[in-house]
Amino acid sequence: MLKLPRKTLINFILPVCAILLVANSLSCFKNSTQSIFTPQLSLIGLVKREISGIIFYHRNMVQAERLQAEVDLLRLRLFDFRELVQENSRLKNLFNFKQKSPLRLVGARVIARSPDSWSSSLIIDKGRFSGIKPGMVVTSPQGLVGSIVESNDHTSKVLLINDPNQGISSIVQRSRQEGLVSGTLGTNLIMRYLPDEAQITVGDVIVTSELSQIYPKGLLVGRVVNIGREFSGLNRYALVKPIVDLANLEEVLVIIQ
Amino acid sequence: MKNLFYLLALVILTVIELSWPHWLDFFHCQPDLLLIFMVAIVFYADFKTALAFGVAAGLAKDIFLPWNFAINTVSFGVWSYLIFRLSRQISTDEHYVRLAIVLVAAILNNAVIGIQSVASGNIISPSIFLRNLIIVSVYTTLLAPLIFKLTKKIAS
Repeated sequence: MLKLPRKTLINFILPVCAILLVANSLSCFKNSTQSIFTPQLSLIGLVKREISGIIFYHRNMVQAERLQAEVDLLRLRLFDFRELVQENSRLKNLFNFKQKSPLRLVGARVIARSPDSWSSSLIIDKGRFSGIKPGMVVTSPQGLVGSIVESNDHTSKVLLINDPNQGISSIVQRSRQEGLVSGTLGTNLIMRYLPDEAQITVGDVIVTSELSQIYPKGLLVGRVVNIGREFSGLNRYALVKPIVDLANLEEVLVIIQ
Repeated sequence: MKNLFYLLALVILTVIELSWPHWLDFFHCQPDLLLIFMVAIVFYADFKTALAFGVAAGLAKDIFLPWNFAINTVSFGVWSYLIFRLSRQISTDEHYVRLAIVLVAAILNNAVIGIQSVASGNIISPSIFLRNLIIVSVYTTLLAPLIFKLTKKIAS
């Protein structure tokens, strides 16, 4: 058993402890001491970490695998979350449009597209049970989308405005010049039967006309991007870029009344 | 049992064709998976099965199209019969011969639908007509080996 003489304790250890306590409270001393020991401590720490890494290799491997799986799951959830945020924003837009519009509208989700390249159509998840009938107009907050050509109990077929079978009586919003807009299967629509003296220029907005039997007056169709002369030479035509991105539609509104 | 798997394959291909992602389109064209299935089944099944599934594939396509006339049901049946007749006249064991048959069938089918559309009064520009005729047919042919593999697996 180590026995310290009382004299040594009083004369040596206690003063040293007192000095150390005082020195420890002085930041300049503390910092310099720490900086002296930092490289050695970090080297020791590195060695210790490497050794424990080798010793606990299996445990770490299992833990890493578990964490990786967790990261993958969280990434997937984050992706879902982003999708939900986007969907929420789209639905909010639809809802706002529905609230403001004087028309009676039914919201529907696009569930399928035309299986070939010779037609341009969509299938939506609402049908007769939601009051949808053939001939009804399909729109979106941006503008006109198409019309219903067939409706079943829970689904309906929508003929898009860029299908060649589609014909929409329309007018140039600025000059009230009438014409017939039909699809071309391409990215643009074609407005035909424009007389030579028609007041139409690139950038004009095209809306549905009141002469149309199906479409309500004033629905936005597109914007003129090019004007040309028909092959016969009798009339002019205008290429119209649809306002709605028809290729990426996910939700639409059907005008019930 | 095989017929059940063929039916399942038909349903799966119809669903894929209907929900074909837009980013996989090539020049705004999508491949005709049901046409490939119709051709493939002629090579791997007996005539009656091939004809029945060919017509079914055409019907599956027509159901989801906005037209009233079931043009694909008729044309798929005709192509099934003609390819069967052709396969008895020439050797269709070589892979490239089968791909060539898919290409010809796709071009003919697209030509028939396109001409029918133009004849019914629709205005389709020559560039879009040729795009739908050539690019769709070539894209369809490029994807044919995948459907051939699937049909072969069901048949064996």
